[in-house]
Amino acid sequence: MDWDLVWESLPLIWKGAGATISLFAWSLLFGTLGALALALMRLSSVKALRWFAAFFGWLFRGVPLLILLFYAFFALPEFRIGPIDGIFLPAFRAAVLGLSLWTAAYQAETIRSGLLAVDPGQEEAAVALGMTRRHYMRRIIIPQGVRIMIPPYMNLAMTLLKQTSLATLVTVPEMTLLTQRIFSNNFQFVEPIFALAMLYLAMTTALLAVQQVMERAFRLRV
Amino acid sequence: MTLDWGVVSRSWHLLMEGTRLTLGLFAAAILLATVVGLLLAVMKLSPIAPFRWLSTGYVWVFRGTPVLVTLFFAFFVLGRELGLSPFWSGVLGLGVDGGAYKAEIIRAGILAVDPGQEEASMALGMTKRHYMRRIIIPQAIRVIVPTYMSNAILLLKATSVAVGIGLVELTGITRQLSNSTFQPIELFTAAAVIYLALTTALVIAQEVLERRFVLKI
Repeated sequence: MDWDLVWESLPLIWKGAGATISLFAWSLLFGTLGALALALMRLSSVKALRWFAAFFGWLFRGVPLLILLFYAFFALPEFRIGPIDGIFLPAFRAAVLGLSLWTAAYQAETIRSGLLAVDPGQEEAAVALGMTRRHYMRRIIIPQGVRIMIPPYMNLAMTLLKQTSLATLVTVPEMTLLTQRIFSNNFQFVEPIFALAMLYLAMTTALLAVQQVMERAFRLRV
Repeated sequence: MTLDWGVVSRSWHLLMEGTRLTLGLFAAAILLATVVGLLLAVMKLSPIAPFRWLSTGYVWVFRGTPVLVTLFFAFFVLGRELGLSPFWSGVLGLGVDGGAYKAEIIRAGILAVDPGQEEASMALGMTKRHYMRRIIIPQAIRVIVPTYMSNAILLLKATSVAVGIGLVELTGITRQLSNSTFQPIELFTAAAVIYLALTTALVIAQEVLERRFVLKI
């Protein structure tokens, strides 16, 4: 392996880091908001909402992410219903849409199981002490639920960061696409792919460090 | 909107060919991933420090990089060096990547067995080989099955990433058909339904397996 070539590839690939990181950040934001809504629907007393959330989870967790991305990029422009004459999303937005739906479906399970994992005795005790539902959710259930959610949430966030690489297949110029551009020009494969792997590894390792900081911040203080 | 679902039936045999390739990739990759995962789990639990380090490093690298990058490596680098076909490059990439996840699942399962079980077996004079086979592994499998199977579903879906190295499996053939017929809605919906059927079948298999390994008292 030619180390000089690895060194030269790094800044070229790094030009796509902005796209990789914003794909990740926007999808995590939208996905988390969607997941919160879905988790609340799953725990709601309205049957139709529970069904909708369960169906959403089954659908978007049962289909590969790549199919969602292709659907958003290739199929939405053909959608013509009434006044809608095709939904044209630029590659970046199509990728964020697909990644957000995927994140919402998976993180909804994280949030739901986190809330369910809190001992039901806590709720009973809060009710017995005369707390309102709003009060005990905010002061008792959510703080404990969050502590349980952090590891699976961050684990999925790390998976999301890696999944942004699939956006290359819908032509988003993120790190993986720029790498492909390099090796299809010079036919030197090992070096750019190695450089790309190192960049992803650095990013995911940074996320692991964030996870540890968060776990410490939310640790039970007795 | 006028959808012409006839395109799905006209291209059905091609979609099924893609599905066969998807299933072939899945079967070979999960086999490789399980072998790699077992090896890594045993290394991680070994008393020899370099084995443990190697296993930890492997898991860190492959859990920290996207499967697409591993596939690039398997296809453009190893595939060219070793003269592997695209299919076997795909199996190699998916299996090597999946092994890192399987390793964690298997290790967690073995560690979840109460250490008192091992002590009791030793007190009864069982050899390590004997109590691993009769006491530890049967209990560990019960813990491993649910996570192993949900990971298998992820691997099935991950085979779609092989499009990135030019394999024409279900996702690849759908993209080609959609490019040539200009009917992406019908074709991608059909592909989604086929994937849903496959993943739902795996969920059912998981439930059957879990029932099979449930504790019988």
